[in-house]
Parts: sequence; C-alpha cells; structure tokens
Amino acid sequence: MMRKLRFLLALWLGKCARLALRVLKRNATYFPGVVALKICPDFLGQVGKPENIIAVTGTNGKTTVSNLIADVLTDRGHKVLSNRLGSNVAAGIATTLLSGSSLSGKARYKTAVLEIDERSSKRIYPYLKPKLLVITNLFRDSIMRNAHPEYIASFIEQAVPRETKLVLNADDLISSRIAPENERVYFAVDRMDTDVVECVNLINDLQICPICSGELVYDYRRYHHIGRARCRDCDFKSPEPDYLGTDVDTAAMTMTVTDKQGGRAVYPLLSDSVFNIYNVVTVAAALHEFGLSHEEIAGSLRRTKIVETRYNARQAGNVRVVMQMSKDKNALAGSRAFDYISQLPGEKEIILMMNCMEDQKKWSENTTWLYDCDFEFLAREGITRIVCTGPRAKDYYLRLLIAGVPEEKLRCTMSELDAPDLLAYNPGESVCLFYGTDALDLVYKVQAKIIRCAEEAAAK
Amino acid sequence: MTIEILFPEVCNLYGDLMNVEYLRRAVPEAEVVKTSLKARPRFLDGDVSLVYISSMTERAQLLARDALMPHLDALKAKIEDGMPVLATGNAMELFIREIVDEGGGATPMLGLFDLVARRAMERRYNGLYLGKFEDMDIVGFKSQFSHAFGGEDVPALFETVRGAGRNPEEKREGIRCKNFMATYVLGPLLILNPPFARYMLRLIGAGDRPPAFEKAAMDAYELRLAEFKDAKRGFTYG
Repeated sequence: MMRKLRFLLALWLGKCARLALRVLKRNATYFPGVVALKICPDFLGQVGKPENIIAVTGTNGKTTVSNLIADVLTDRGHKVLSNRLGSNVAAGIATTLLSGSSLSGKARYKTAVLEIDERSSKRIYPYLKPKLLVITNLFRDSIMRNAHPEYIASFIEQAVPRETKLVLNADDLISSRIAPENERVYFAVDRMDTDVVECVNLINDLQICPICSGELVYDYRRYHHIGRARCRDCDFKSPEPDYLGTDVDTAAMTMTVTDKQGGRAVYPLLSDSVFNIYNVVTVAAALHEFGLSHEEIAGSLRRTKIVETRYNARQAGNVRVVMQMSKDKNALAGSRAFDYISQLPGEKEIILMMNCMEDQKKWSENTTWLYDCDFEFLAREGITRIVCTGPRAKDYYLRLLIAGVPEEKLRCTMSELDAPDLLAYNPGESVCLFYGTDALDLVYKVQAKIIRCAEEAAAK
Repeated sequence: MTIEILFPEVCNLYGDLMNVEYLRRAVPEAEVVKTSLKARPRFLDGDVSLVYISSMTERAQLLARDALMPHLDALKAKIEDGMPVLATGNAMELFIREIVDEGGGATPMLGLFDLVARRAMERRYNGLYLGKFEDMDIVGFKSQFSHAFGGEDVPALFETVRGAGRNPEEKREGIRCKNFMATYVLGPLLILNPPFARYMLRLIGAGDRPPAFEKAAMDAYELRLAEFKDAKRGFTYG
C-alpha cells in the first residue's frame, strides 16, 4: 500500500512539475522525471508502459532513427509516445512515461518509440521490456563518459531483456555481437563505390577477431570499423543481413531495401551522407519487424523530412554559408563531419569552433580527442583557409599542422567573433562553420557575422 | 633509429599513438615498427631506440600481458640495460604486480614493479594533471577506472603538483626505472609537452633536434600550463 501511495505521489508531483515548467515555457523533459525517481526509485517499474515499445540506442544516428520511426508510425495512424523533444537518460524516460500516463498511472498510449542513452541501459531496461531494441552502431565516443566501445557494449549486454528482439547492424562487428541469446535480425548496406578495404581513419575500434584475436580482413569497409569482415584464422565473420540496402543512388536520392523473405522496395534517401543511408535501412528493418510493409514504410518516409539540426546551408552574398554541428569532445563526430564537408564540391573556407565551452568555464577541455579525430581530411585540396578559434584555438592550430595543413592556410584567434574577419569570402566558395553543442548563442552570433561579412564582401 | 609500437591493433585508445607520429615528424628517417600480438617483438632481437605502448581496453590488457609474458626475462634485462620504454594510460598496468577489481578477483600482470591497481568499472576518474619531470612542467589528462597503490620503493616518473598521482592521495605519478617510463597520463603526452618531447628525442638518439612544429606546440603548452596553474580552475571533472 505504501509502495502504491509513494508511486502515486511521485506521479502527481512529476506531472505538476511538468505542468509548471510548461507554463513557465521551460524545458519539461527531464526534471519531472528526476522528481518522480527521487520520490519513487522504482517509478519506471510502476508507471504504465505502452504495450509496444521500440527502443533505439547506439553511438550515432539514434535520434534520427527514433524520430523517423515515430514519424512513420504517426503517419500510419498510430498514436505514438516518444521522447523526441527530451532527454534519453532514466529521468527523461520517466518524464516521457509519466506524460503518457493517466492520473492513476495507466498508459494512455499503445505504442512508444524511445531513444535510450547506452550508458543508462542498466537503469532503464530492468523496468522496460521493449518489443524491439534497435542498436544503430557502437563507436568510440566521449573518453570521459564512455571510455571505449567494449565498455558501452557491456552496459547494454548486461541490461537488455532476454525477450526483446534486437535489430542490429551487420556491418558493425561490435554492436552486432551483443546479447547473442536474444532473437535478432540484421541490417546492412551493400558494397558502395566509395568503400575501401584498408582503414583510412585514426579510429579503428575492431582490428582483431573477438574470438581468436586473429587478423580481421575486410571485404569492404565504409569507414572506421564499419564494413564486412572475416577472420583470417577462424570462421568468425560478419553476420548475414536480413535487410540489405542496395543500389544506393545519391543523384536520384533512392535506395532499394530487400529482405530475406523476398520483400523489396525502393526507399527515399533523406540525405546523401552515409550515416543517413544507414538510418533509412535501420528504420526499414525496425518497422518491417514491427509489422509494417515496405510500401507503407517507404510511402511514409517520402512524406517525412529529417529535422536537420546538424547541417544547414544558405546563400549569403557570393558564398554559401554552411553550418555543421560536430559534437564537442567527440572524435568520431568530427571525423565524419570533416570527411563530408571536405568532399563538398568547390572551394571551402572553414572556421573551427568546436570547443567545449562548459568545460572551459570550470576546468580545461580534455583535448585528447583531437588526436583520435581525422583532421587529416582538412588537408584535402579545395580547402583554402582554416580559422581556428575559441579557447582551444592553439590546440586546433597545432593539430592541423600535424595533419599536414600548410601553415599559410591557417589563421588563429582566441576570439570567436573575430574569426569571420579572417576569411576571404571568395565568390562561389562555401564558408563552413564547425561548432559544438554547448554554446549555440555564440555560434549564432558568429554565423550572423559571417553572413554580414559575406554580404559586405559581395557589395564591394 | 627504430621505434617499436607494441600491439597497435589493440593498444590504440585516446590518441596516444600520435606520440610516436610526433617523434617521427622530428626524425623522418626513423623506422616505425608495429608489432602485432602474434608477432615476436623486435626489441628482443635488436636495438630499438624506443618501445612504445598505448592505452587500451581492459580485455586488451590481458592480450598484451599474455603476448609479453613469454618474453618477461628478456624484457626485464632490456629495461635493466637502459632500453627506452614509454607506456601511457593504463598500459602502465601491464608492468605492475596485479589489478584488483572492486568486488572481484585479482588479475596478475607482468609483475616487474610492485604496485597494485585497484579498478572500479562503475567509477571513472577524469582529471587534469600538472606535474614535474626534472625541471620541466608536465601537463596532461587522466581518464581511468583504476589507480595504483603500493610501490614505496618504485621511483616515480613525475612529481605531482596538482591532480592525482598514482592515486588521488599520492604525489608520485607513474614509474621510472632507468629509461623505462610509464604514466597514467594518457593521450598525446609528447605533443602536449614539447619540452618533454625534446627530452625524449635526445633519449632515443635524435640529439638536439627540436620537436615538430615546436613554436606552435610551445604556444599551446604555455596557454595550457597557465590554465592548469590557475588555482581557481577545477582539476577533477565533476
């Protein structure tokens, strides 16, 4: 009885906190859950859960994939509870579930799509039994929080419910081996023109066979450890995909997805980046396993757009101003962003301001990630100038020299607002601003100044 | 000049391997040998100017230990002979007596130095590091699950000024035995510390050659040093 009363108190106070925050126009996606869990530590166990939960986790792509899954299900007429606007740790999940429950704590939704932080697995899965758990991939992430991918895999491995069906990336030999006793399907993207065999990235998190420590040989490699591999010394190899993306056409922005039962459909690509190609195959696999047909999924995806918060471009004067978010202290995110931007057509000038401003206020940013990140991509032809700015400008400057960028292409200023003055704004080029996630006000000021400088340069 | 990297297929975390690349930029003629787990280490059969081993996963610690164990006596003799060795991050733990897991058993390591690491996989220590090596200031970063204890007679590599030494209560940091140097400080230690890189270059036989991009490296070093000496700045990430 006491247990039930405590739960109801947690639920109601959590709901009150959520209401109050919303009235105050504050973010109400985390704190209500903190309140609920503080009062009732097993709140997640007692609160009503939707019958069908699709959970999405992994290093990269989990936000996009969970949003797309929720969008398609909504488009197909499902009433979907999701944490798309909020936190993906235990308090965020508690907030989402309390918002989706009645005053008595019963679930008001039949379906939920929940993005779940990998490290929070142990606090969430004991109480939540997803019908499907989608794991997009596992890479090296923040050194301080995530250590290395084996460590993160162990968090999921120890917590994932036995009855949950896994939707796994066959091209990722780290995440695809999680919880081998669970029922599972695999997705993959077939060989692409841009594939390589040898790793060209600094981060390569799986170089030996996890069974016998023999050498892994790649039939093809997309980037880092993602690709199709086999062991030279034993019979270990990448699993066969149940869902395979083929015929990727970035001009027509389409891809075909085939499944092992003979199903096949042409899917729209929502962006030409490799990450987003994977995201579409992942969504196709997850939703087909959920019970939708390929035609239904592809049809709904055609009506869906990725909310592109990490990349956008606009014309200013005679240049194209490109904003590219690159999660701070994350070498993998930096490498993918540098690779993508450096291969955009035409000449480019770049401002690097991915500094972690929060760390700088209290400590000093741990910059070891700079030497895991492929700054070497910025030495490619077509990049005419790079301005390093912010509190770690001198570290970027040195890293770029080591990466092979000629000194004459480099500029350095500690003041972010001075950085746009150091660009040339050559007609026809792109001006690309790489920025971190924790100083967006400053980022927008720098963006505004870039636009102003570009327009002034054009007027001259 | 030959620089041997031990087991880079598993010992490759946190940008540590760039330490060797940084040395190679100063000495372009240096041969860099990458020795895999299943290969015979080069240092056993010939002169090697530096043996380097980087941070790794906990599983890789066992693989690296097992790969070195058959050569333990030879390794000990080489260290006694003054072969330069640099181990960064948890590579240091390969050479100590054992790792004891919180709530678990003890894992014997190579046992060259009488230190015990206590590991808690649920608690990661993240901090800045400021120390002294001879008359040089050393700056760096720590991010680890374990700390080392004991080893009263084991000489330290660095004397800690701020941050954790072998453990948060210790001023002594790392291990120094002749030219064997091991430290929990991880990542691009030599790039962050151009004076120490200069020392390493001399040690491995490059004479007075300066570290690569020394001016830019010194600019970044001096800024970081000033930050780390700022008493108002936090040293352990909360």
